[in-house]
Amino acid sequence: MDQSELMQHISQQYNAELEAIRTKVLAMGGLVEQQLERAIGSLYDGQIEQAEEVVANDHKVNAFDVEIDERCTKIIALRQPTASDLRLVLTVIKTTADLERIGDEAKRVARMAISTAKSEAGRNLYQRIEHLGDRVREMLHSALDAFARMDVEEAIRVAHEDRRIDQEYEAIMRQGMTYMMEDPRSIPLLIDIMWAARALERIGDRCCNICEYIIYFVKGKDVRHTSLEQIAEEFGEEPTNADE
Amino acid sequence: MGHSWSEEAWRFVLVVLAGTLLGLLVGHVAAVVLVAVIGYVVRHLYYIHRMQRWLDDPYLGKMPAHFGLWGSLYARIHRLLEAHRRREAQLQQQLEQFRRTAAALPDAVVSLGPAREILWVNEKARSMLGLRIPGDYGRPLANLFRAPALRQYLERGDYKKVLEITAPGREQRQLSVRAVPYGDGQLLVIFQDITERYRLERIRRDFVANVSHELRTPLTVISGFVENLRANPDICPEAWRRPLKLIDEQSGRMRQIVGDLLLLARLEGGEAQLREAPVDVARLLEGAAEEGRVLADGNVKFQVRVESARQIRGDAGLLRSAVVNLVSNAVHHTPAGGQISLHWVDEPGAGCLIVEDTGEGISHQHIPRLTERFYRVDAGRSRERGGTGLGLAIVKHILQVHDARLEILSEPGEGSQFICRFPEARLVDPGQRQATDESRIADHSA
Repeated sequence: MDQSELMQHISQQYNAELEAIRTKVLAMGGLVEQQLERAIGSLYDGQIEQAEEVVANDHKVNAFDVEIDERCTKIIALRQPTASDLRLVLTVIKTTADLERIGDEAKRVARMAISTAKSEAGRNLYQRIEHLGDRVREMLHSALDAFARMDVEEAIRVAHEDRRIDQEYEAIMRQGMTYMMEDPRSIPLLIDIMWAARALERIGDRCCNICEYIIYFVKGKDVRHTSLEQIAEEFGEEPTNADE
Repeated sequence: MGHSWSEEAWRFVLVVLAGTLLGLLVGHVAAVVLVAVIGYVVRHLYYIHRMQRWLDDPYLGKMPAHFGLWGSLYARIHRLLEAHRRREAQLQQQLEQFRRTAAALPDAVVSLGPAREILWVNEKARSMLGLRIPGDYGRPLANLFRAPALRQYLERGDYKKVLEITAPGREQRQLSVRAVPYGDGQLLVIFQDITERYRLERIRRDFVANVSHELRTPLTVISGFVENLRANPDICPEAWRRPLKLIDEQSGRMRQIVGDLLLLARLEGGEAQLREAPVDVARLLEGAAEEGRVLADGNVKFQVRVESARQIRGDAGLLRSAVVNLVSNAVHHTPAGGQISLHWVDEPGAGCLIVEDTGEGISHQHIPRLTERFYRVDAGRSRERGGTGLGLAIVKHILQVHDARLEILSEPGEGSQFICRFPEARLVDPGQRQATDESRIADHSA
């Protein structure tokens, strides 16, 4: 539906502008994905250089955020969008805000990677983090895929994934606490690791938000602060034609 | 056709004649002829109508039977249709064959339209790039396969180079991307999985790093203790002085060789990451001359002449080591009282960095082989002077990664000239730099 609805306007220019902001969001998404991937990678490889690169590249993500916001403001001011166009612009604004924060969290993970790179302790907690990291990365990837396709079904599926991430985060916290009790000297390191885990968990939440915006755009219904079961009940069963 | 056409013409004449005769008989010539002609026209109109109906669904079985002019018209249309159908079937077959071939390719193939939207993909592309077909037809490729490097590559539109990227996703697969423009603004993009090759390269790189590390550590220990022994005359017997001095010198030399080999390996493997920035050549030459003066111990005069304000876009550290290598080479081969000059001059289409000495010169047969590793014109002598035998090889490779060329001119007894020629694309006018930076920013925001 997204393609056809976007192509309805008489003004070719307007169509192009709307398509362009969507593409920009996905370009930003691609960059954030890369940042996150490198941050997680450096966390368990202990590659400081890569982590430093992530920290240094964060300004690019911020630049995207500013640019997209500016374009959206311009569209609102000049075109006064209504209905699905307005929803698209709002969705884009909110999504970029979340992506920008995901970028910040990635930077935080990279910082933790730098500060923990030298120590050998707590390595077995890293495996858990690795797993959590993979999950989160995949979630972001699927959320952006759903955004590119404006696919409600996929968005609902991704939103469900967040619970698993929360569970894993809790497991890491519990394990970390046991280690702390066993060996108080490892506490500074473990706190860093837990910060990284916390950042990853927050990214999961942000992905969840993006999925909610997708549902809002396609269905025109605000599903924030609604339980997942309710969302699935309302939209999940009916066949979505978001692909056409 | 001509035959049936004249037949039809005769038929018309016949109709008119018959009408005239009948009209003469009846007494109303004009009326009867008119009726006959109208009848003739109506008949043809009916045939036209039939043909129109038939053309809606032009199959042989439904073709109305006709003779004469109409029959030949039908026959011709039928032949045209047949030829068209045959061609269509042939094209369809060729297309099908192409698709089957492309689908069987081990690489992912995607064809993109003018807005870089997906027009067609082969089987492999679906799994490698995570595309959903047919849903994703018409969507921009870079929105679904979001590697930032690929987006840049597609936006920049310079497809001469092959792009290597890490595919987003868990497996971290390495892909090489090659794009071929075709048709009306369309683009064929081929993704090849090079993870295995990449892994082998990594093993090789690790090997070089490990070997150099393994060699360096013992050398450091050896020279450390030797230094200690030499510094304490109390524990070092007189007889051991000379051997220890030699050990110290040789281990130092070996350390240098290991370092040079490592640099060479890095340059050759293309892994040396160029930290590109405009390099001020005047300062580069002054620095190299300063090092040369120290090395020559005041025996050789140095002259620096900078005639161009242009800068080289390149890696300052690497360029410095290239020039220092050339200078130390010159120092080694220039007897006391000689002169070494360093020039930086403009040439049409290039910038030339020249290191010239008044040394002993090199005879012709040696020149082509000078940049080979460990090649020595006079083995005993140059080793005595402390060269590693790798200097010019390093210079050559450093110039290569900067797209520059090394040229050597020399006559025995008259000194040598080492000319490094940097192409126009590597040169930067100091005044222009600001402008290009600004235009890049403008591009980005556009």
